[in-house]
Amino acid sequence: MLQGALAGLAAGGLYAVLAVCLTLMSRLVRVVNFSQAATGMFGGFVAVWLVTETGLPIWLGSVLGVLLAGVLSGVIGWIAATWLSEADTTTRSAMTVGPLLLLISLSFILFGNKPQPFASIISGPAFTLGGVVISQVTLVTVSLAIVVAVAVRILLTRTAIGTRLRALSERPTTAELLGIPSKPLSIAVWVVTGVISAIAIVVVAPTQSNDAISLAMLIVPAAAAALLGGFKRLDLAVVGGLVLGVLSGLVAQIDEVALIRNFLPFLFIVVLLLWTQRKEVWDAAR
Amino acid sequence: MPHADAGLARSRALRLAWPIGVAVVGVVAGYLLSIGLSGYFVFLAVSAVTAAIAILGLGIVTGSAGMIALCQLTFAAVGAWVVSLFNVLEVPGGFVVWLIAGGLAAGVVGILVGLPALRLRGVNLAVVTLGFAAAFDVTLLQIQFPGSKDGIPVLRPEGFSTDRGYFFFSIIVLAVCGLVVFWLQRGRWGSSWKAVAFSERGTASVGQSVQQAKLTAFAVSAALGGISGGLLAGQVQLPFASSFTPLQSLALYVLAVMSGAYLIDMAIFGGILWVLVPELLKRWGVPQDWGFVIFGALGVQALTSGTNLGQGIRNLWWKRADRRAAAAREAAKADAAAHPAVVEPPVEASVPTLPTSAPRPASGEPALSVTGLTVRFGALKALDEVSLEVPAGSVMGLIGPNGAGKSTFVDAISGFLPQASGAVRLGGTTLGRMSPTKRARLGLRRTFQQDRVPPALTVDAYVRFVARRRVTAEEVAEVLDFFGCPPARTRLAGVDVGTRRLVEVAANVLARPRVLLLDEPAAGLSHEEHLELGARLREVPARYGMAIVLIEHDLDLVRTVCSTLTVLDFGRVLASGPQDEVLADPAVIKAYMGETEML
Repeated sequence: MLQGALAGLAAGGLYAVLAVCLTLMSRLVRVVNFSQAATGMFGGFVAVWLVTETGLPIWLGSVLGVLLAGVLSGVIGWIAATWLSEADTTTRSAMTVGPLLLLISLSFILFGNKPQPFASIISGPAFTLGGVVISQVTLVTVSLAIVVAVAVRILLTRTAIGTRLRALSERPTTAELLGIPSKPLSIAVWVVTGVISAIAIVVVAPTQSNDAISLAMLIVPAAAAALLGGFKRLDLAVVGGLVLGVLSGLVAQIDEVALIRNFLPFLFIVVLLLWTQRKEVWDAAR
Repeated sequence: MPHADAGLARSRALRLAWPIGVAVVGVVAGYLLSIGLSGYFVFLAVSAVTAAIAILGLGIVTGSAGMIALCQLTFAAVGAWVVSLFNVLEVPGGFVVWLIAGGLAAGVVGILVGLPALRLRGVNLAVVTLGFAAAFDVTLLQIQFPGSKDGIPVLRPEGFSTDRGYFFFSIIVLAVCGLVVFWLQRGRWGSSWKAVAFSERGTASVGQSVQQAKLTAFAVSAALGGISGGLLAGQVQLPFASSFTPLQSLALYVLAVMSGAYLIDMAIFGGILWVLVPELLKRWGVPQDWGFVIFGALGVQALTSGTNLGQGIRNLWWKRADRRAAAAREAAKADAAAHPAVVEPPVEASVPTLPTSAPRPASGEPALSVTGLTVRFGALKALDEVSLEVPAGSVMGLIGPNGAGKSTFVDAISGFLPQASGAVRLGGTTLGRMSPTKRARLGLRRTFQQDRVPPALTVDAYVRFVARRRVTAEEVAEVLDFFGCPPARTRLAGVDVGTRRLVEVAANVLARPRVLLLDEPAAGLSHEEHLELGARLREVPARYGMAIVLIEHDLDLVRTVCSTLTVLDFGRVLASGPQDEVLADPAVIKAYMGETEML
């Protein structure tokens, strides 16, 4: 039982990292980025290709793949910042469905639709806890999620660039009038979250089902986790990701409820939304 | 005018008949295609038809109602699953009954998935539907379609069992779906979808439940998805999960957005693209996955530019038609000027002029009475124990400097501020904690300071939607004429904001509420239009039988239009009563006009 729960923790860490990125995007650049996991997936696949086809060392291939993911994310951000700077969250988010579709299909063309032979960057047990083995992957993803969340929080509240970012997200036009370079800053947010997501995916991919669809659709549990924090709170996003991972690990242990496992993120989303939106709110002010 | 009546009746019959005519022509063309096309193309054509029906459904949710739904093929899978199940169980009634059952089942699933979406908008719904698509896809792989393990093929309808026959059958289904969607779009539901996409507040304030609008959109869309899936089950006879993946749902969504699928012809065009693009790629020896890459790129283009193919074409067409109409008007004018012998009687006589005397306050039971209305925003008291009465059949002016709480008052009375305390009575009914929708249905209507008129509607559709009762074309024309609005056939998208708000006032007057709250209706109008509106409003209580609360800054106008006045300042009632008394009140003069100004 405990083994199952802890086995889910590695996935939970991945969900948490992605959820933190989603929350960050939602807060700073007003978007729910549906291609968040897809850019990471694509970068990871390119890394695998670089390592297996051109014989690059694993670390170099991974770095290049992660950077490519950042660039891809930045391109999408550039599109959003150039043509949708005044659009509402829904329109901006809807736009990211296009890149999601595009990246999955493109990876089918380039790499086929089979799982990719990801080489493990990190493997092996880290330590045992009460007779249960905690893998290094689990340790790395969970700490990555926490570190990113804490670092982002410090960045946003304690530094000048954080203040600018917050100004940008809350009053984009005012921020621009104050001379804050809104476009480069928001593209930078896209690049950074793209890089972080890709790192998490490259680390966890060897131990997960790692075909293009499975990886790109990580966006669903990630969004579920981010919803726990209402796409606003980073700490709750981390908690949401970990809880969801542990829950899936638990449910996977019990054969009778195995079908529920597929619907777990969906149910998580529905319950959370019903709870958080139980009070009727009107759309725009007045 | 019997002649005009006959013409009107004919045009009404024509309006009713032409969609049926188009459908019949479509079915005939489908029959000709079904015997003319080669076998391979017939199969492809059925795929195009099933995709078109699914896209038709998406057009309602994403195009008209403005929600993001990313699980259309999951609904299709539900439809296909039910058809397969009924086939295995040999449910009596045959394929047609199974197909309808599949559509209904998908509609029910749509409602279940949409239920959490009732209070959600935009992005959250996208997350819910994507989650549902992903979950159902994995589950479908595990449970498979009924009969697929034993290889029991789905029985096609009798008389349509060949591929050609089945294509003809699918065309009939498409024609029926198209007709149903056409009528729904033209009716109340269609108007409510387009209204909710533009503004939820605007929708609720005319007595339309926002939840119902969203749920019907979702259910109809899902049902169409189910029918599409059922048709596909009959086409391939052994459906597999691979036909209903989330990826294809995403592609379908993108395709619906870029083609403009709320337009029926564009949904059909989208269905053709769905089949044509991969087929062309196949012929050119390009991997078919490039199809979705193309869709993805074009989708980004469509979503960033906010345009789509169908609307683009229509806009071009409309612009040409408008230009031609304008040219014709000019020519007629020039013609009239050239032949001054034909003198027309002056038509401007009906424009009333502003009377110089102040209107007299009406007596009798108040239409609206407010006692102790208080609204707090945090520490700020936006309204502080506001009490006032609006006499029946009168126009009350609500004035006060910026920030006095006038719009907050309107929001609180119309039910958009549930935290408001105090008692509001409409006629004999206490409103309590009623929703805005319910208040509107009881006869309390309001207009907004901002533009809340959905641009996707025509003036006629909007006026009828707001009126919420059966109105004749003559009534609509009369009220539009009275307020100097553009004619009923005009598209609201092509009307400036000031005029849109005039249409909003006219439509709400036609709804015949007990009380109509007008929040600065003249903002955005020229000075002349402004005065004209004032003169019309003065006539409204007697002519249409309602009380009006008018928020207005122009004191001259207030003086000529309003019989009673209430002055708000910092959320308190400074004075309330007959106009001349209130305006003579020294406190009002001091607080509102400044001490030196003489009235």
